[in-house]
Amino acid sequence: MAQNVNPFLEQQSSSNKQSDDSRKLQNDNHAVTKRLHKELMNLMMSQDKSISAFPEGENLFKWIGTISGPKDTVYEALKFKLSFLFPHSYPYTAPTVKFITPCFHPNVDTNGNICLDILKDKWSALYDVRTILLSIQGLLAEPNNDSPLNSLAAEKWTDQDAFKKLVLEIYKE
Amino acid sequence: MASSTTEIPKETIGEGGDESDKKEEKNDSMFECNICLDTAKDAVVSLCGHLFCWPCLHQWLETRPNRQVCPVCKSAISKEKVVPLYGRGSKKTEDPRETVPPRPAGQRTEPEPGSSFPGFGFGDNGFHMSFGIGAFPFGFFASSFNIGDARPSPAPPGTQQHSEERILSHIFLWLAISFIFWLLIA
Repeated sequence: MAQNVNPFLEQQSSSNKQSDDSRKLQNDNHAVTKRLHKELMNLMMSQDKSISAFPEGENLFKWIGTISGPKDTVYEALKFKLSFLFPHSYPYTAPTVKFITPCFHPNVDTNGNICLDILKDKWSALYDVRTILLSIQGLLAEPNNDSPLNSLAAEKWTDQDAFKKLVLEIYKE
Repeated sequence: MASSTTEIPKETIGEGGDESDKKEEKNDSMFECNICLDTAKDAVVSLCGHLFCWPCLHQWLETRPNRQVCPVCKSAISKEKVVPLYGRGSKKTEDPRETVPPRPAGQRTEPEPGSSFPGFGFGDNGFHMSFGIGAFPFGFFASSFNIGDARPSPAPPGTQQHSEERILSHIFLWLAISFIFWLLIA
């Protein structure tokens, strides 16, 4: 019964709340690093040569990923670097993913921001670095021209030869 | 899109390790939580059949209260519709992650009662009858007569409903005792 609760206990627990919160954050961080470690292991074990990713320096919350342009597209034989920034709430919220290598694409703006539904509202805790890289690779092959970030690229997409010229012009390794 | 890119099983890639090792790994990966990618702790399974740690799934549901979907197949899920998995010999003493509420309890439905009704030798199914003193307007001891509908099973111990029911039953017990006492002295 509610009136049988020891009032001292209640007070104590409320004063402990702050330390509880900080401990929870620590626990969460531990869970995030654990999961990122697992993802790194899986990526290193995978034999997919077209994608790779590795933490940038000591910080496990910042990664650099690489994808090669999909075959039979204007991006073929090109390599793109991407930056991953993982929030502490990962994998419950999506990481921030940006192109480091300049990429001429309807759904990538000049700052490298990517418009991809799974990185926004369609994010699921199941997705990981590998699936994100594969999705971006898929996006390169099949842009969504209906909601372009780069309207020039969306316009030029129909003319693949001219598009490829622009891609190579902007692309710098 | 991403859904078509399922996890490549480790054992097809990993070299080395004897056969039993591989087998173990395979068994383990079958019981990995879809969120933390670790072996599921306090495992629950959604109605769509996907396995999670309860703390992981709870946090996922908390982060998007108005769009609760399964992280794997995006079918609608809710706290009430996940089934806890109890392995054999699981210890109850695991640390209750303070902020995470306990797993929802398994929903246990009593098997259909057998043909013999205790107390009555009638043998017809679900025949309940009770008698009492009915003193208008006090309906405390109302006669009731239920045929066919089984009573809802009591809530499992430990849940909030269980404790509420206990409190209620105490209150009614005291009411009844004081009413009888009042009848006696009146």
